[in-house]
Amino acid sequence: MSNLAYARPSAYPAPSAPLRPVAQPHIEIVTTRAQRSARPKVVYAIATVISLFAIFGAQLLLSIVVSDGAYQIAALQSQQKELVRTQQDLTERLDLRNSTQYLAASAAKLGMVPGSSPQFLDLSTGAVSPAPGTIDSSGCGGTCNLVANSLLGGVPLIDPKAATATPNTVAPAGTGSAASGPAAPTVVTALPAPVTH
Amino acid sequence: MTPRTARLRMSLAVLVIFALVAVFIVRLVDIQLVNAAEINADSYNKRAQSLTTYGVRGSIVDTNGAILAASVERYDITASPRSALARPDTNGSVSDALAKIAVITKQDPAQLMAALTANPTSDFTYLTKGVILDVFQKVRALNIPWVYFELRPARTYPNGATAGNLVGFTGTDGAQAGVELTADKCLASTNGSATYEKGEDGTRLPGSLVTTQLPKDGGTVKLTIDRDLQWYVQQRIAQTYQSLGATWATAVVIRVKDGHLMAVADYPSVDPNNVNGVPNTALGSLAFSQPYEPGSTMKALTAASLIDAGALTPVSQVTAPSLLYLSDGSYIKDAFSHGDIRYTLAGALVDSSNIAVSLFSKPVSADLRRSYMIKFGLNSKTEVNFNGEAEGDVHPVSQWDERTNVAVQFGQGMTATSVQMASIYQTLGNGGVRMPVTLVEGCTHPDGSVTDLPPTTGTRAVSASAASQTLQMLEQIVTQGYLSDKLTIPGYRVAAKTGTAQVADGKGGYGDAAVISVAGVAPAENPQYAVVVTAGIPSSMYSSGAIASTFHDVMAQVLTTYRVPPSTTPAVSIPLRW
Repeated sequence: MSNLAYARPSAYPAPSAPLRPVAQPHIEIVTTRAQRSARPKVVYAIATVISLFAIFGAQLLLSIVVSDGAYQIAALQSQQKELVRTQQDLTERLDLRNSTQYLAASAAKLGMVPGSSPQFLDLSTGAVSPAPGTIDSSGCGGTCNLVANSLLGGVPLIDPKAATATPNTVAPAGTGSAASGPAAPTVVTALPAPVTH
Repeated sequence: MTPRTARLRMSLAVLVIFALVAVFIVRLVDIQLVNAAEINADSYNKRAQSLTTYGVRGSIVDTNGAILAASVERYDITASPRSALARPDTNGSVSDALAKIAVITKQDPAQLMAALTANPTSDFTYLTKGVILDVFQKVRALNIPWVYFELRPARTYPNGATAGNLVGFTGTDGAQAGVELTADKCLASTNGSATYEKGEDGTRLPGSLVTTQLPKDGGTVKLTIDRDLQWYVQQRIAQTYQSLGATWATAVVIRVKDGHLMAVADYPSVDPNNVNGVPNTALGSLAFSQPYEPGSTMKALTAASLIDAGALTPVSQVTAPSLLYLSDGSYIKDAFSHGDIRYTLAGALVDSSNIAVSLFSKPVSADLRRSYMIKFGLNSKTEVNFNGEAEGDVHPVSQWDERTNVAVQFGQGMTATSVQMASIYQTLGNGGVRMPVTLVEGCTHPDGSVTDLPPTTGTRAVSASAASQTLQMLEQIVTQGYLSDKLTIPGYRVAAKTGTAQVADGKGGYGDAAVISVAGVAPAENPQYAVVVTAGIPSSMYSSGAIASTFHDVMAQVLTTYRVPPSTTPAVSIPLRW
């Protein structure tokens, strides 16, 4: 404080304005070099303000990105939930079509009948025993399902027409290869077998 | 204004300011430190919405992993009548919306309207319960603001009544019957809880979900049952029931080497998807819960016991009179009238002579004979401990009168369940070693650990030689008996015993009703499976021959299903008379 220059107040009252001589020299407080260099520079202030705004801006962007990510996560999670639900629903339908009642009824619709005894093929004579034709002792061709399954109401059975339609669509390829391929193997009327008697 | 008053005013102002600041500081400390937790929780509760997260109840699968019972998600459709009816329905938007819902849920729109208007100020009413995903998604797509949805965990049984008697079912109060009930500890899940924060308009703030308690899924119960075989046996038993006009029918298939039940069929039996479809008596498994006087199928146990006790061989001799009189003048008779017949033990079994079996049994003490029955698993529940399982009765010897003393040896005056009978034939097939009857293979928890493993230690009931001699005699029934053509399975040696038992009428005598059964094992020289088929019929118009073809078909199906190699040696012939 002591090194500050100061103007001592005039000991005399100031003369009236018209009396002030025009050529009176201008007196100004002059700062020292040290004082000038110690004074805060405006560039610092500008830098501070800009960086402050930059930080605010970055924070805002970051929070937008984060919340956007959160919404994305939420959307994906709900999508995942939907897909899991769909998967469970499809599994449930598959299990139902995998049920024995459905398979048995579908097999019956395709013309299959349950056998009541194991069938044996005699290799020496080619005979089948017991004679086929005595199968399906229940006599209803497997269609008379007596084991209830209330879930199967309204589930369509496998359609034999649809089943035969599928090979038809691939038939051209099959016939083409048969025509150009090797000759069909000769039909063996009797299986070669050692005489066991 | 004097300097004095100015100073006074100054200090007063400072004092007031300090006092105010002090009040604020106290309040600040109170809010920020003293009551901080409480206020935080309070504010969180205003934003937070609690949520129940459901654990999934475990599945019940058959021995090959086919699903018998599974948990599925169903949806309840609810509505807020208050917001729906907030404005008068002048332009018909509410009835319009209800009509659209009704088309999807196949309900009556008037019924939905009635549900909605029943309590117009309420914020909650059910429109429909337990709809499938398809319906839920369609109703949700309508975007009706006052319609809400709730998750409802449910149970489905894709195979319907196949093994429904064993699997059981669940109701609104949880497990009700069968394995669902007995294995509930393994199957049950624990619900978890979570909270999320909601915005002012009720939307869920993303990323605010906090799980407070993780839900725990239930374990998977694996049965010993083979689903496809079970279906066949149930189908065959149902046909038998209908053709005989029976009151009940059961069949049990048990694996000889380890006592695993491959199929347990009852008719009538429940479809767990539609519990109301059958009478209350058919909700469980009669094969476990219904003891009956088994009749002549018990003679196999008698023969094995007497041979094991050293009293007899298959060719031991006895002369059976036409009637066997007791000391009180009453008599024991056979199913057919005859003069004196000189039976071997094998012959007594083939002709199923009660008189011959009584004469063979008498020399062996009642205590010893009863102890064999206990060793074969009678008079106590099997290891399965099925829901509602019966013990059957073999009364203490002190309660046996002169008739009971011999009648128990041909299956009257005592009772057993179908599963107990199957266990007897399992024992005979397994060289006299009775294996614990098993229905549940174990419980697999979500973490992969397996618990509730069944006991595997067998107990010897009779010697291996007694068991195999008994089976040789039972084979004579298939090769030489009058039901030979019905019981023979080409390619396999079968040992079987028929039974036609009278049913006590509850008044100390026997009525018209009868229980007919066939029990046996195959292949006789190396038994793999034992089968018992039984039917309760209202009158004695049929003999066991009526159910022999059922036994044949079930046994043939078992042998084919499990690809049992055919027998390579012929049956040994044993003389039936002397």
